[in-house]
Amino acid sequence: MTGGSFYVIKKSGLQKLLDSLSRRMTVFVPVKGPDDYNFREMKPGNSLNIDGYENTEFPPRMIFMPDRETILEYEKNSAKAPAEARTAVFGIRPCDVHALNILDKVMLGHDYREEHYGKKRERSVVMALACRKAGENCFCGSMGTDAVKEGFDLLFTEQGDGYHVAAGSEKGERIVAENKRLFRKTDDEAKKIRIRCKKNMNIENLPEIMKDMRDSKIWQDVAGRCLSCASCTFSCPTCYCFSLTHESDIANPDRARVLREMDYCMLVRFSRVAGGFVFRKERNERVKQFFYHKLLYGYNNEGALHCVGCGRCISECMAKIDITEEVRKVREEHGRKK
Amino acid sequence: MAEKNESYRPVPAKILSVMKENERVKTFRLSFVSREDNASFSFTPGQFAMFGVAGVGEAPISICSPSFEHKYIEVSIRKAGNVTGAMFGMKKGDTVWVRGPYGRGFPLDECKGRDIVLVAGGIGFPPLASVIDHLARHRKEYGRIWVLYGARDFEDLVFRKRSKRWTGIENLKMLVTVESPCTSWNGCTGMVTDLFSGLDVDGKRTVAMSCGPPVMMKFVTLGLQKMGIQDNDIYLSLERMMQCGIGKCGHCSIGDRHVCTDGPVFRYGEIKNMLERVW
Repeated sequence: MTGGSFYVIKKSGLQKLLDSLSRRMTVFVPVKGPDDYNFREMKPGNSLNIDGYENTEFPPRMIFMPDRETILEYEKNSAKAPAEARTAVFGIRPCDVHALNILDKVMLGHDYREEHYGKKRERSVVMALACRKAGENCFCGSMGTDAVKEGFDLLFTEQGDGYHVAAGSEKGERIVAENKRLFRKTDDEAKKIRIRCKKNMNIENLPEIMKDMRDSKIWQDVAGRCLSCASCTFSCPTCYCFSLTHESDIANPDRARVLREMDYCMLVRFSRVAGGFVFRKERNERVKQFFYHKLLYGYNNEGALHCVGCGRCISECMAKIDITEEVRKVREEHGRKK
Repeated sequence: MAEKNESYRPVPAKILSVMKENERVKTFRLSFVSREDNASFSFTPGQFAMFGVAGVGEAPISICSPSFEHKYIEVSIRKAGNVTGAMFGMKKGDTVWVRGPYGRGFPLDECKGRDIVLVAGGIGFPPLASVIDHLARHRKEYGRIWVLYGARDFEDLVFRKRSKRWTGIENLKMLVTVESPCTSWNGCTGMVTDLFSGLDVDGKRTVAMSCGPPVMMKFVTLGLQKMGIQDNDIYLSLERMMQCGIGKCGHCSIGDRHVCTDGPVFRYGEIKNMLERVW
């Protein structure tokens, strides 16, 4: 957003801000586990520790579309949705803000607005955090997702012994106003931090090239290495496929609930219909579904590639399949064919 | 932005009657518990709704009652999985949860003035039955009508009783065939496409609509093309496992299309240009 106000906040001020928010709502921050950072709930009194934080292992999508969530509770003659808690998320990286913007288009756009996701997004505060350096598998530099202009309420950029803060929405301004003694207004924009990614993906004409390359042998080759474990789809910040699962309450047979559970197109059962027929039975069809959804179908439907260059699918892949490498091969073969 | 808000919240409907079509198929007549729901529910033949059993699940099923009937809706269900299995055991007075209707049905208004060929296979017949009722009610607005229906065997045929109300309708010809004959069947034997040879179809004047298993529709399309029917005049209802019904969950995607919102009824002209294998 242009025209939003700028502020500065001290590191200690950020701690106080998160502490105060955590008394009113559920606050998620990056927390280091045995291996990686992930978004975890911050309780009042907990302190933020993000020295060495690059990005979370799993994307912030999991806050807005949890793995398993009750969305409806049946009673005798009605079905009700449970109330939605207020949340704030601190530390979302720019690439993941881009991913949330894509998820919003998918879940809230087109013919229908998905109410559960919509309510969660409405009742949440996005506090993004600009990157200082690129992670091992990042390629946001070539995707145009290393910086962000919209989709956040507040954007934090490290600066001196504190942060520069840009307000991106009314909601963001309100938080500043409510905690005004922690913020100091400034006219200066955040100092640009240039980050250098080791990996890159050439996206020029990529959807068109992908369209031409649907019958390429490359997909067979990727499928030959892929283990169908679904780690790529599990860790992708723009993957949103789900199942609606129904559960009964054994203690109270009049009650039942519907859960929305994340589901993954890399699994065989995903395209199964009644009677047992599976439409994407071959692994190469499922591999293609992932690559094509990211690099062609998503572009056709939402006007943006569904890959934001976060590199998680590369980090998580047990077979070391690297989307930037495969795209390089696709482009090469396409160039030779011409 | 989006036109409709969806929370997957179904409304309860009571089973008014259960009609056993054969060993594996039953037709349920349902009426919504709330009078408002009964008045507001309207659909186009070919559209589907999600039919649910609390605590078990939901299944996407095409509505097969006449679309002008507002007192009840009907669905024919083949026992195939958890939900249809649970519904199979239900009786008059039990509650079924319904949300919808969803998707794009058959283009009945666009087809006015044209000759129409309907081709059904197996449990693909019920949605087309709703089309036939519409055509019969508006008989003068359409040209000649052929209804071709193929089933595995005599036992597999559905709507044996309902079909009777379509006999005697002017210029409506219904042909039925079964793959494996038996002593109680004295009609045609063979695949539904075998019925094509006897038709006197003028390809340019004709619109075709079909619903059935993927393999059947593949061959039906080839046959219809041979009769000179244009790819954009061939309408096929595709099957996928729709779960959300609103184009989000991804289960019914074919390339960049969603069967639940872009279909389930597609023109063959659209199907042949899809970015992923359809069948």
